[in-house]
Amino acid sequence: MSLKNYILTRIFLAIPMIIILLAFIFLILRIIPGDPVLAMLGGKAPKEVIEQKRHELGLDKPLVVQFLNYFFGLFKGDFGKSTLTGRPVLDELKERFPATVELTLFAFIIAILIGIFGGTEAAKQKDKAPDVLARFFAIFMYAIPIFWLGLMFQLLFGVTLRWLPVAGRLSPAIQFKPITGLYIIDSLITGNWKAFVDVIKHLLMPGTALGLVISSIFLRMVRNNMVLVLSKDFIKAAIARGIENKNVLYKHALKNALVPIMTVMGLQLALLLAGAVLTETTFSWPGLGSYLVLKIRYRDFPAIQGAVVFFAIIVVIISIFVDIINAIVDPRVRY
Amino acid sequence: MRNRFILLFIAMLVLVTSLMYATRDYIIIGTTDKIRSLDPARCYDYFSSNILQNVLSGFVDYEIGTTNLKPWLAEKWEISNDGKVYTFYLRKDATFEDGTPITAQVMKYSFDRVIKLNGDPAFLLSDIVDKTEVVDKYVFRVYLKYPFSAFLSVLGYTVAYPVNPKVYPEDSFYELAPSASGPYRIKEWIRDVRIVLEANPKYFGEKPKTKTIIINFYENASTLRLALETGEIDVAYRDLDPRDILEIEKDPRFVVYKGESPQIRYIVFNVKQKPFDDPNVRTGLAYAVDRNMIANEVFVGLVKPLYSMVPMGMWSHEDVFPKRDLEKAKEYLSQAGYDENNPLKIDFWYTPTHYGSTEADVAQIIKESLEETGVIKVTIKYAEWATYVDYFLNGTMGMFLLGWYPDYLDPDDYVWPFLSISGAKSLGSFYENQEVENLMVEARKSSDVEERTKIYKKVQEILVKDKPYVPLWQGVAICIAKPEIKGIVLEPTQIFRYYTLYSK
Repeated sequence: MSLKNYILTRIFLAIPMIIILLAFIFLILRIIPGDPVLAMLGGKAPKEVIEQKRHELGLDKPLVVQFLNYFFGLFKGDFGKSTLTGRPVLDELKERFPATVELTLFAFIIAILIGIFGGTEAAKQKDKAPDVLARFFAIFMYAIPIFWLGLMFQLLFGVTLRWLPVAGRLSPAIQFKPITGLYIIDSLITGNWKAFVDVIKHLLMPGTALGLVISSIFLRMVRNNMVLVLSKDFIKAAIARGIENKNVLYKHALKNALVPIMTVMGLQLALLLAGAVLTETTFSWPGLGSYLVLKIRYRDFPAIQGAVVFFAIIVVIISIFVDIINAIVDPRVRY
Repeated sequence: MRNRFILLFIAMLVLVTSLMYATRDYIIIGTTDKIRSLDPARCYDYFSSNILQNVLSGFVDYEIGTTNLKPWLAEKWEISNDGKVYTFYLRKDATFEDGTPITAQVMKYSFDRVIKLNGDPAFLLSDIVDKTEVVDKYVFRVYLKYPFSAFLSVLGYTVAYPVNPKVYPEDSFYELAPSASGPYRIKEWIRDVRIVLEANPKYFGEKPKTKTIIINFYENASTLRLALETGEIDVAYRDLDPRDILEIEKDPRFVVYKGESPQIRYIVFNVKQKPFDDPNVRTGLAYAVDRNMIANEVFVGLVKPLYSMVPMGMWSHEDVFPKRDLEKAKEYLSQAGYDENNPLKIDFWYTPTHYGSTEADVAQIIKESLEETGVIKVTIKYAEWATYVDYFLNGTMGMFLLGWYPDYLDPDDYVWPFLSISGAKSLGSFYENQEVENLMVEARKSSDVEERTKIYKKVQEILVKDKPYVPLWQGVAICIAKPEIKGIVLEPTQIFRYYTLYSK
């Protein structure tokens, strides 16, 4: 299969996947008891008012009709309106997404740095003290619930040492106008250095906590793959040819070890972009994760559906992207 | 030379820091609440209303620290003899922030808009208001469907606040920052992050004491507390964990303010479901419930036990429900046919998040206090709020916890929604009593407080006789601030006024 065909096939296969997912979410939301009007007005408004509101939202129509309405709306870019706030879901998602992107990228960079360097060094010194330490670190971080780590960070760096703010993206008293929603970029564009420093300070704790937890996955994978690759003949040959140790490690071995890890990293990135729920709620980070938690509590159907479709699209795009990169790097994948 | 530089540097430093402190004309408030909508036609949650109460103005306001109504946009009003026609004379100097005057036409536009758009709070007006009329540029008239003595209290709620016709469209909700007519205007609003209020130069009333109020939003009580501890916020308002409050009370860096709250919590019985259809069972259970234990154990003494559905501090309130008495409880239950050998087995429901994290503890304490009689076996069950509402509306649950937050401050809002036939249906008790319904209608017709007090006393007597509900406790409003922040008044109306705050 040519690369072009491979890409097209992957994209076409993604469409039914998203539709199935959408139908699934749609059904689940409606099968579980409770509906948005009740969640909002329950016990307050008279029964007639509740009935009328359900009618206005189209909740009294047959499920199939509701689904088709929603489905065709999506093609027009209409994600519906939140029943909680009355605003278009797409607008709300657009507001929340940059916060998640900023947090995710920050955490991801930390995770990759620790993962790759930690993993490579551990593999190089297999079974020696640094390796044991790295493995212990990985298991430890993997086992720790992120909200607990977050809370400990808050207590230490926020309350005791007072170095970093405990929550949110921005200090209340900082003057700031969001443009893109990515606060680091916004503060740079506007040359608002005070805000820039403040934004970075806010990002440090949640970003590091999240990054550390994810780095544990990467670290173990990189280490194991590197150990495998380092035992291969071509490495021995490279060493025998007198190539500098560092070069062997990072140029020859790491390149080969990274192929399988890329898939994992890509999917992990996609998952994170869908909102690191626990991190976001712990640090009052106004991203997609905390958005979803809020909306589920109020049975805000359009918002939950919208968010899930949005996640699905992100995951699909990134996984296609990862597959393509893999296909380029390793042509065997295509067949 | 070098010394001079150092001196200059120190002088600059002193100047800058003193300027920073001298110009501190803002106060930062932290909250776990959320703003849902700032359109009065749609706004029906506590915090959104609270913002509107500071940036808009209404017909009437409450005198600070009381539940007494006073003129605001309406300078005076007349009520017809049959209690069905209200005529309001508006003040002539009130405008929105863009200079649009607030006239009778604006009032009519706003009222009609609320009813037409039929948002969440619309029924508060549409149930009562028949039609509206512009009599003169500054004279506005409302015709009611039936006499309703609590109408002025309804006007005190944000649903009746006028909106700027140049900004708010007639046929759809407006989801951006409102055009201000109150003490503050909205300078900046980043949803779920923060909202910045700034003194409104066009406001006709008294100027706010602090020029800028910044409200910062937090996801949960623990981050709110941390923000307070680190000094990021000056004031924490709604909601901290009760146990946190107990700790903070001992901390000299903060002052804890406690105020009356009109929120009440109670048990509902579905009077159509066995065994709760038996008044003896309901009475037995009412005698066994330990309110003090809930107030002291779960809420560490912050809330007060409640013995009527009309809250303490409101006129006509009477402690009608009996105090705890296990012997009496057993007596009534034995009349219903239950004893040690044949215990009463019941399911008791609560909802885990809607009323905060304390709810599970409350349910557990109620279970224990009922089982202390030795003749009751309680199984605790729970459901998430949306499901819970579904369950009580269709009569699935027989005994469950619920809470009430008033829409207007009048005893009517504490009896009509509970004891009227239509109201009881929407609260899952399915209670029906024509006698009490007639009494409440009578009270709605009268505008004489004394006469109405007498009627509400009778209503409360019937309430305790039939016991479709068992009142448990009355909430408390808590606010925590740094000692230098002054002017905090926790109003019985629950309006948190930012314009009285100042930093010393």
